Amino acid sequence: MEASPIQVIGLRKVYRSRFGSNRIEALAGIDLDVRAGEVFGLLGPNGAGKTTTVKILLGLTFPTAGEARLDGVPCALPESRRHVGYLPEGHRFPGYLTAAQTLSIFGRMSGLDARTVKGRIPKLLERVGLADWAHVRVRKFSKGMTQRLGLAAALVHEPRILLLDEPTDGVDPVGRREIRDLLREEARRGTTILLNSHLLSEIERTCDRVAVLRQGRVAAQGTIEDLTAQTSRYKMVVSAPDDALIAALRETGAGIERVNGHLIVSTRDLEHVNALVDRVRSRGAMLSELSPVRSSLEDVFVDLVTPSPSPPVSPSGSIAGTESQTGGRGDGETGG
Amino acid sequence: MLASWEEVFREAAARWTLLAYFALSTLFILIFAAAVNLDVVNGALAGAKLFGQSVDMGGRSIDIDRLVLGFESGFSGFLYIVGTFLAIFATAHLVPRLQEKGTIDLYLSRPVGRVSLLLSRYTGGLLLAAANLLYLLGSLWAIIYWKTKVAHPRFLLAGLSILFTIAALLAFAFLAGVVTSSTGVSLMTTYALFFLAALLAAHAKIAAAVSSEWTARLVTGLYWIFPKTAELGRATVALVGGRGTLRAVADMNYFAVYGSTALFLLTSLTLACWLFSRKDF
Repeated sequence: MEASPIQVIGLRKVYRSRFGSNRIEALAGIDLDVRAGEVFGLLGPNGAGKTTTVKILLGLTFPTAGEARLDGVPCALPESRRHVGYLPEGHRFPGYLTAAQTLSIFGRMSGLDARTVKGRIPKLLERVGLADWAHVRVRKFSKGMTQRLGLAAALVHEPRILLLDEPTDGVDPVGRREIRDLLREEARRGTTILLNSHLLSEIERTCDRVAVLRQGRVAAQGTIEDLTAQTSRYKMVVSAPDDALIAALRETGAGIERVNGHLIVSTRDLEHVNALVDRVRSRGAMLSELSPVRSSLEDVFVDLVTPSPSPPVSPSGSIAGTESQTGGRGDGETGG
Repeated sequence: MLASWEEVFREAAARWTLLAYFALSTLFILIFAAAVNLDVVNGALAGAKLFGQSVDMGGRSIDIDRLVLGFESGFSGFLYIVGTFLAIFATAHLVPRLQEKGTIDLYLSRPVGRVSLLLSRYTGGLLLAAANLLYLLGSLWAIIYWKTKVAHPRFLLAGLSILFTIAALLAFAFLAGVVTSSTGVSLMTTYALFFLAALLAAHAKIAAAVSSEWTARLVTGLYWIFPKTAELGRATVALVGGRGTLRAVADMNYFAVYGSTALFLLTSLTLACWLFSRKDF
């Protein structure tokens, strides 16, 4: 069986101060498995361990325990980065190089020969919207332009895996859309993308799956749909929802809100939902829609990363509480 | 490797250090070429003009070969100090700048081993220093030949000896750079090493003068650990000057001087590579 492009197994990282007196656990044993051609988002508040994870994947930092592999090759080996493109956050290309020189140098450092790189540079600069800036020194670039150049440098050797840290940072809204489109295009070509971003809307629009890190652990992992489905709440559209019907539904213990002519019902479980449907029908009302209420990724994110007395995560990594109500709708693939 | 070298040269050009060095060298070469006019008759200097003014030679004729040797050996001594200092100044930033946040990620995310990356910067720095030396020494050598028809290939060998010293000091600058990530500290410690090592050439006298045996041993120990900057300077001059100046270094143990400096170079570079390959960024 072919190895997943990005595999992280039981990864731990403990930072120690110079004299060993302070000890910070940045990663407390995380597992990730990113499939080929997938756009995977890594979310988490500051200090959650996102950057440390990416740095370990790239061999910039060494793990205390566990394993990280790219294309099946251990990350400690330079060879693991042969087909990897990386766009770090706050990257600083040498300001004295022009855009074309930057791509040439970093392309050759990725193992391409000079002729191949030379042939790719104009197309690549065109693709990221810097065609007219090929021979301008990087120090003259705006933040957004530097970001585009960073993306071009990450793509110059046509990698199979892309690790992107805040790729749209400093880019205007039109540019963001262009970058999103470019990433989707890369994913369609089969490139596996790990996206690290604070912009949840960005993640929501771009990623197939996400993992939310909190205090060095995976607090949740799954598709956006899985994570945003709040299956204890349903939108119920019924004809003429009068007070008597609402009172009858409340008798079952359901929470009822009237919103824009329809009802939002809070239930205990699926049986409870079915009981409510029976009540609606027994009163002669017509049910025209019943759908689970989805919260935004931001709501889920805030819920997950806000400290609570009880751990928000079930051992399998899906969001606590979701699995029991949905009969295992959490993706259940968090284990490595 | 080639990409890394190209970047080192582009960076040096962008920092003006390289351009300033080449501009100063060119200026010196042009002034030397224009100012010195020698009248050589039968292998002897019969007359000389400096900036168009005749130099009074008191009616004597001077052996041109000896004159050229004297100039070349003196100049190589001057270049040993100036060239070494400039080379370190132009290259000490290579590691600290590489290790800057936002920069190191770009390099290490490529399929290049850490040791290869560091060594490519090191050899790039040495190539830069070699290019500077070759330009200055080669140009002067050609002008001297043009003016006097005397050619001493040994003058060019001075470049190798200077480059060897630069290699040892640059290895130490890289080690300091890996540990501290600071160009300033790298420069200061490397220059301090140069002077301290030169002082330790008198280690026998210092050891005899100090009161405790422990201090004497420390001084002697440091002398053998550090590169032999004073001896290497004298050896460079002697290498160019030939028989006349070789007497001054007749008692020098060349094997020990070059050998211990080479050992220092290798140890510093190995340590720098080892620390760099273990560092968390």
